[in-house]
Amino acid sequence: MATESRDYTEATETDRELTMSRAMVEAIAWEMRENEEVFYMGEDVADYGGIFSSTTGLLDEFGRDRVMDVPISETAYLGAAVGAAQAGMRPIAELMFVDFFGVAMDQIYNNMAKNTYMSGGSFSVPMVLTTAVGGTYNDAGQHSQTLYGTFAHLPGMKVVVPSTAYDAKGLMHSAIRDDDPVVYMFHKRLMGLGWMPSPPGPKTGVPEEDYTIPFGEADIKRHGSDVTVVTLGLHVHRALDAASQLEDDGIDAEVVDLRTLVPLDTETILDSVRKTGKLLVVDEDYQSFGVTGEIIARAAEGALDDLSAVKRLAIPDVPIPYARSLEDEVNPGTDDIAAAIRELHE
Amino acid sequence: MTDAIDVDSASVWPDDADDVDEGYLANWFVREGSAVDEGETIGEMQVEKVSIDVTAPTNGTVTEILVAEGGEFTRGDVLARIQPSA
Amino acid sequence: MVSVTEMQTMYEQMVTARYYEERLQEEYLVGKQPAFDISAGPIPGELHLAAGHESSGAGVCIHLRDDDTVTAPHRPHHIAIAKGVDLKKMTAEIFGRETGLCRGKGGHMHLFDPDVNFACSGIIAQGCPPAVGAAMAAKKRNTDSVAVAFLGEGAIDQGGFLESLNLAAVQDLPVVFVIEDNDWAISMPKDRVTDVEDGSRRAWGFDMPGERVDSDDAVAVYEAAEKAIMRARDGNGPSLIEVQVHRRMGHFMGDAEAYRPEADIERAKQRDSIERLADDLRAHGVEDDELDEIRERAHERVDEAIAWAKEQPEPDPSTAYENVFTNPPAQTATDGGANTSDASSDGDEGGDR
Ligand SMILES: Cc1ncc(C[n+]2csc(CCOP(=O)(O)OP(=O)(O)O)c2C)c(N)n1
Ligand SMILES: [Mg+2]
Repeated sequence: MATESRDYTEATETDRELTMSRAMVEAIAWEMRENEEVFYMGEDVADYGGIFSSTTGLLDEFGRDRVMDVPISETAYLGAAVGAAQAGMRPIAELMFVDFFGVAMDQIYNNMAKNTYMSGGSFSVPMVLTTAVGGTYNDAGQHSQTLYGTFAHLPGMKVVVPSTAYDAKGLMHSAIRDDDPVVYMFHKRLMGLGWMPSPPGPKTGVPEEDYTIPFGEADIKRHGSDVTVVTLGLHVHRALDAASQLEDDGIDAEVVDLRTLVPLDTETILDSVRKTGKLLVVDEDYQSFGVTGEIIARAAEGALDDLSAVKRLAIPDVPIPYARSLEDEVNPGTDDIAAAIRELHE
Repeated sequence: MTDAIDVDSASVWPDDADDVDEGYLANWFVREGSAVDEGETIGEMQVEKVSIDVTAPTNGTVTEILVAEGGEFTRGDVLARIQPSA
Repeated sequence: MVSVTEMQTMYEQMVTARYYEERLQEEYLVGKQPAFDISAGPIPGELHLAAGHESSGAGVCIHLRDDDTVTAPHRPHHIAIAKGVDLKKMTAEIFGRETGLCRGKGGHMHLFDPDVNFACSGIIAQGCPPAVGAAMAAKKRNTDSVAVAFLGEGAIDQGGFLESLNLAAVQDLPVVFVIEDNDWAISMPKDRVTDVEDGSRRAWGFDMPGERVDSDDAVAVYEAAEKAIMRARDGNGPSLIEVQVHRRMGHFMGDAEAYRPEADIERAKQRDSIERLADDLRAHGVEDDELDEIRERAHERVDEAIAWAKEQPEPDPSTAYENVFTNPPAQTATDGGANTSDASSDGDEGGDR
C-alpha cells in the first residue's frame, strides 16, 4: 500500500512544496478516505480548521461526524479517544497546546499509555494525540512549552516530532497506521502559518502519494565530520543555520534530526559521535531530567571512548517568560548553537 | 506559442473583503519551473487576516513568480505567470 | 439597591475598560499590518480583548474590597480594571516591560497583583480552584473576605470548574463563580459543546444558588452579584452567576472570525451595556456633561497608562533566571544560566536562581 521512505533529496524533488500543516492534513485526509474508522476530534478543529491549521478543509470533506468539535473537557474527550481506540477505531484527538495536558494527564499516561501493558497485551490503543508545541512568539509560560521529555519519559507512548513537511506527512501516515498510541507534536513555528511565519526549511517538496516514515529512524539533515549536533523540531533549522554560518570558518557540523523520541534511533547518534567525537544536544524543552540528558547518556553508554567533548543547550530550568528579551534569553538561538559548536570544535 | 497566463490576485480576492486592497503573500507551493494543473493550489495569500488559496488558472508551467513569499501587494497585481501546456 | 454614585462608578470602570481595549488593539496592530505576524510589533504574544464584557467586571467587582480575591481567565482586562489593579503596571506588563506587574514574565493572560488580590490563569477554568482556596483561607482565619472566580461559558465543561463547585459547596466556602457567557468559545458556539443553555443551572447539581442575568444591564449584574457576595460574606456559602455578555472583537487579535455569522457580530455590537447604563444614568438625572466628563477622565487615565508603559525599560535578560523560587536554593539541579554565552559570563550569582 505505502511507498516506503526513500532517499530524502530525491523524494522531495517534487513540483510542489507544502507547508508542514498542509502536509499533515494531506496525510490525515488520505487515511480518513481509506479507513472509515479514522476520525478527528478536538477544540476548534471543525469550522476553524484547527488554531494552527492542523485540520484545514477536513470538515468540508468529511462532515461533522468525523471532524468533531468537542467541549473544553480534555479529560473527557482524550479519555474517549482511548475508549474508542480500544473499541477498534482509530481516533485522532487534538490537544490544542501541549501545555494543556495538565488538565487531562491521567487519561494520557495512566490509560492511553498503560492499558496495553497492564492488560498483558490484550488491549491495544491505536490512537494519535496531536498537539502544538513550542515558543518564539511570546505567549508565556502556559502556552510555549514543548514538554518533549515529559511524554517520552513515561513508558507506553510513541513520540513523534517532525521538522519538515516531508517528514510530517510520512510520520503522520505511520502514526495513524500504528497500533499503539502516538503523540504527534508539531511545532507552531514550523507549520507555515501566514500569521506566524516559519523560517525557511520546513516547507519542502512532498510527494502526492502516501508514504510512511518508520519510527525510530533519525535523519541526518546535514552531513559533517567535525561536531555532531543532535536536535529536533524547530531547532533542527536553527542548527542547520548555525552549521552553514560555521562553514566559512572551516567547521563542518553534522545535524541529526531525531524525528521520533520513542523509539529513539540510538545507532545513528552513536555512528555520528564515533565519527566526530564531539556532541552537542539542542532541545527546546527544559534542561534537567530531559531529552538532552538522555541523548548524552546514550552516547556515553555506547561510545564513551570516542567522545572527547559534550555540551547541551536547552531551556535553563525556568518557565518560559513572556517578554521578548527574556524568552530570547532562555530559548537557544542560532548564535548560541554556533557558539557552542565552535567551543566544542576548539 | 500561446501567451503566458496571469495569476491575478483580483480573481481570487474574497467577496467579503471588497473594502480592502492590500494583500500579503504567505506561501508559495510551487517554484518557477513547476508543472501545475488547473485548479491546483499553488499559493496562499492573506487578506484582512483571512487565508485564501491561490489556484492555478490553467495547466502548464510556472514561468515567473512576481510577488515573493512574505511580500505585500495590491488587489489586481499579478502574482505569477503560467505558460499553458500545449 | 444601587445608588447613582455606584452607577457612575460602574460607568467609569466600563468606559475605562472599553477604551483600554480599543487602545490596546491599536497598539497591538502596530507592526502587524497589512501582514499579521503575531510576533511583530510592540505587544508580544496573543491578545484576548474583552470589549463587550464590561458589565460583568464592573457589576461584580463593585461589591469587592481589596482583601477579596479575584481570579480571572485569559480575557482579564475589564475584570482587573474593575478590581482596582494598578493600570500603569498592568499595561507595562502587557507591553512586556521590566516595571510591569510581573516583571515581564506573565503577560496579558497572566496578570498578578497582590495589592488587590488579583490573579489569572490562561488555562481554561483553572482559576476556579485557587479562588476556592482563597475562600478556604478566609473561612479558616475567620475574616469576612470572599473570593470570586470568573470564567467563560466554554469553561463550564471543565473538571476544574465542576470539582471546585463541589468543594466550595461541601465546605460552605465564601466564593462566587461568575460565568461570562459571550456565546462563543473561540469558534465553537455554546450549543455545540454544552447541553444546557443556561449555565447557571450547573449550580443545581451542587445544591447552591444559581442565577442568570440575561440582559445587557450592568445594574442587573450589580443586583445578582450583591446577593451572592453578601451571602458569601455572611458565611452562607457559595453561589453561581451567569452573565450574558458579548464578544465585540475576535477571540484573539488576528482572529478573522470566518466561522461567525455576520448577523451575530452585528447583534453583539448593538447590545451594548455601556450605552444602556448611560441611558439609566440619564434617567436618574445625570447630565450628558457629567457622562462626558467621566469618559474624558477615563480616556486620559488609559492614555497616560499606555504612554507610561511604552517608556518603561525592557527587562534585562539576566532577570529571566530570577523568581523561579521565593527561596532560591544556593544551587539548582543544573546551572540554569550556563548554557548561553550571555548567561555563562554572569553565571555566578546562582543564589538568585
Ligand atoms: C484547558 C484548556 N483547553 C483549551 C484552551 C484553549 N482555549 C483558550 S480560550 C478558549 C475558549 C474559551 O472560551 P470561553 O471559556 O467561553 O471564554 P471566552 O474566550 O469566550 O471569553 C480555549 C478553548 C485552554 N486555554 N485551556
Ligand atoms: Mg465564551
